[in-house]
Amino acid sequence: MTATAAPTTIPLVRELAALLGEDGVLHRRDELVVYECDGYVIEKAVPDVVVFPTSTEQVVEVVKLCNQHDVPFVPRGAGTSLAGGTLPIGGGVMISLTRMKRIVEINARDRYAIVEAGVVNVWLTRALAGTGVHFAPDPSSQTACTIGGNVATNAGGPHTLKYGVTINHVRGVELVTPEGEVVQIGGVVEDQPGFDLTGLLVGSEGTFGIVTKVIVGLCRDPEAGRTLLAVFPTVEDSVEAVSGIVAAGIVPAALEMIDNLMIRAVEAAFHFGFPVEAGAVLIIEVDGVDAALDHEAQAISEIVQAHGGTIDKAIGWRTREEPEYKAIWKARKMAFGAIGRVSPTFCTQDGVVPRTALPHILRFMEGVSERTNIRIANVFHAGDGNLHPIILFDEQDPDQVKRALQASHEILDECIRLGGSVTGEHGIGVEKLAMMPKLFTPDDLAAMTAVHDALNPDNRCSPAKKIPVGGHCIERTSPGRRAPA
Amino acid sequence: MNVDDRSAWPDAPGAGPLGDGRYAAAVHRPTTVAELCEVVKAEAAAGGAVYPQGGRTGLDFGLPPARPGAAVDLTALADVVDYPHADMTITVRAGMTVAALQAILDEHNQRLLFEVPRADRATVGGALATGVCGPRRLGLGRPRDSIIGVSFVTAAGVEVKGGGRVVKNVAGYDFPKLLTGSLGSLGIITQATLKVRPRPAASALIWLTADRPEPLDARVAAFNTSSVRPTAIEILDPSASQALGGPVGLKGGSWTLIVGVEDDADSVAWQVDRFRREAGVDFDVLRDEASAPLWSALAAFQADDAPLACTASLRPSRIAAFLAGLRPGRWASQAHAGNGVVRMRGLGEWTEGEAAEAVDAARAAAVRDGGNLVVARCPTAWKPRLRVWGEPRGDWALGRKIKAALDPNGLMNPGRFAGEG
Ligand SMILES: Cc1cc2nc3c(=O)[nH]c(=O)nc-3n(C[C@H](O)[C@H](O)[C@H](O)COP(=O)(O)OP(=O)(O)OC[C@H]3O[C@@H](n4cnc5c(N)ncnc54)[C@H](O)[C@@H]3O)c2cc1C
Repeated sequence: MTATAAPTTIPLVRELAALLGEDGVLHRRDELVVYECDGYVIEKAVPDVVVFPTSTEQVVEVVKLCNQHDVPFVPRGAGTSLAGGTLPIGGGVMISLTRMKRIVEINARDRYAIVEAGVVNVWLTRALAGTGVHFAPDPSSQTACTIGGNVATNAGGPHTLKYGVTINHVRGVELVTPEGEVVQIGGVVEDQPGFDLTGLLVGSEGTFGIVTKVIVGLCRDPEAGRTLLAVFPTVEDSVEAVSGIVAAGIVPAALEMIDNLMIRAVEAAFHFGFPVEAGAVLIIEVDGVDAALDHEAQAISEIVQAHGGTIDKAIGWRTREEPEYKAIWKARKMAFGAIGRVSPTFCTQDGVVPRTALPHILRFMEGVSERTNIRIANVFHAGDGNLHPIILFDEQDPDQVKRALQASHEILDECIRLGGSVTGEHGIGVEKLAMMPKLFTPDDLAAMTAVHDALNPDNRCSPAKKIPVGGHCIERTSPGRRAPA
Repeated sequence: MNVDDRSAWPDAPGAGPLGDGRYAAAVHRPTTVAELCEVVKAEAAAGGAVYPQGGRTGLDFGLPPARPGAAVDLTALADVVDYPHADMTITVRAGMTVAALQAILDEHNQRLLFEVPRADRATVGGALATGVCGPRRLGLGRPRDSIIGVSFVTAAGVEVKGGGRVVKNVAGYDFPKLLTGSLGSLGIITQATLKVRPRPAASALIWLTADRPEPLDARVAAFNTSSVRPTAIEILDPSASQALGGPVGLKGGSWTLIVGVEDDADSVAWQVDRFRREAGVDFDVLRDEASAPLWSALAAFQADDAPLACTASLRPSRIAAFLAGLRPGRWASQAHAGNGVVRMRGLGEWTEGEAAEAVDAARAAAVRDGGNLVVARCPTAWKPRLRVWGEPRGDWALGRKIKAALDPNGLMNPGRFAGEG
């Protein structure tokens, strides 16, 4: 036994090692540091132990041991959370699902797949290639994030505009409750009598237990698609066009905006061929039956032109495997990797406004940028009104840090004022607990707390996440440095 | 407010029906949410139960009311709160009828994404509480996929909300989903925000017939590789074909496959043509306006007043075998074949024993492959034997914990929902 584990957890570590084998348990300080944070790096907490169960039974035993020893536990997938969802508040045991990575069943005829929680989103996409069906949620982090993590955060992605977010594609889960019982929620068939517990569980950020398996629903692949790259002189023009497209009753498959700062960063990194002089570009995709798409693409072009834009590229495709198609989406999804070229430190915010309020919020953000003298870049899911302003600053400069934080708060407050939300997909995690009372009344929060306490009575499972239970609201003193989505 | 004795069931007609032959001790029709909160508090104090009601189209659904109490009529809370049509969302009070909501959406050529039978009476709150939907669920989803925000009055007499008014939002627990389909047993839905979509420009219903259900199964399976993207795939047994399609020319006596496509005119024309080539057979088509009556009839099938009705949820691949196993002449059945849902309506006279036997057999067939069967309607006296909600599920234990947390004294619609009785 090493001397670095907290003395109180030493017996627990021994029991965990007996259960999972030495290679299923990490407890040396140098090994644990890797797990001190996820994609949200501003707060850190080192777990006492990290375990890697390979079966539901092992998860059950781990949870039971945690209960016996009265230590908190937190599930972790790939750790790409941008809200500190995996932070082990109060230490304890981190349960990594990454060794539960089997695709258990694919049933294209009945349009579902059963996967273990640690299966990476894109593995399922690959396994389904050629079957005619796909799993719709495609977060930008899809090459890393797990489906268990997608379920816990109710993840979105560019194509969730038309097809819906994770919850719209989950039929059921196998859950290990905070007490260590295995419960099958939902199932392979679409309707189940009883409350929609699947609906409640998806997006609960690990606070109702450990998801060990997921039954996902699969969508038919589109028959064809058109992907347009529209170029605009200014950001305002581009978001006016977004509002115009939505208001015209067109429901694109995806509608993403990239502003000049991000275009330059992406070009420098990937040389995709984005016009670096443009104020903003939109990636607009429509899909469905080929016969309908020329009309739709035409209608979109007209709206783009009416707002001062031009169509720079138009890709017609039959499958999402075509090289030109893949290139444009790669550039979009890798955008975040390129930010490092622009600023030493950045923080990606996640807010939502009604889509018609996009022009307003973009102007507002420009004002914030001027007032605080902080640069803000934008690349986001415009069609959903889901903003990801990237706040650029130098963390060595305390005054900049303060101003960056102020910018962040002003933007989220304005989202709330416009009837929106402080998170569209990244989650509350630990990061936004303090904002919950701005969105919800004490009565709303009391009801959420009642449900939390009913399913997680000892608050040992993922403590201090999602809803402000037990006074765990932490005031931020720094905006964080994170990759965006 | 007149809160009287709540210790015994009043005789008919009492203050109006609660369903299952039971009557309310009082009826309240609040005109504001504040008033509704007071009503709930007063009823809680009087020790009665609270039975929320909308258009009273589904009062017999579920198990019988367990305790005497008051009906709360939501139909006076019926206004539009916000309709930012360009955002394709609408927020309305729960007591508005679905038809009234649709009429408002019509002004902007938009529509609700789920179908509600008896829409002129059924309210938005009632539709959400029962989670009702129809054939278009294949293309447009269920109510749970439309709802993005909800407000409800809890047993404590306070209004609580979850979700919001934007289409993407992960702040807080998903009360909109939890309340949808909860049959009023967690609280009284007062307001909802729903996603809406533009009405498609064109629509077609294709139908073809067969002597047996099995050949239709292969056709349904073919949609997994077809170029056609239907909004609905329905199978009707011979009796249902007769009942639903007689007026529009469907042949009774045959099994019928109905495929609905909706999109712009070019796409619909192309898909109809494409299906003709893929299927290699000829078939009848109803287009645009001419398709409307059959679409409505398909959505309304479940609302018939047959004394015995069941809904099975299966894997789509089991639909044909399940239908083939039902006793001919005893059921009229409609399947939302792409979704694995079968709606069965009992034909003719039944005794309790016959019904129990038939339901047990159908349920056993459904459960075998991970499905289930719910009795949507039957005489109250048969409910215990027919086991309305079917085999107890493992996750109902979690449901009971949630119920206890939000409604510790069992004030809201006691007795009715799955896992309670
Ligand atoms: C570059 C980048 C791009 C991104 N793009 C997007 C995007 O487009 N859309 C989007 O929605 N998000 C995006 N994200 C955020 C993140 O990828 C998602 O939230 C993702 O769903 C998290 O999955 P994960 O496996 O990494 O989960 P983790 O980060 O490990 O965990 C996230 C949360 O889920 C809980 N959890 C994980 N596994 C389980 C389980 N098995 N059972 C119960 N709870 C569990 C954790 O406790 C934690 O609260 C992005 C992140 C990055 C870094």
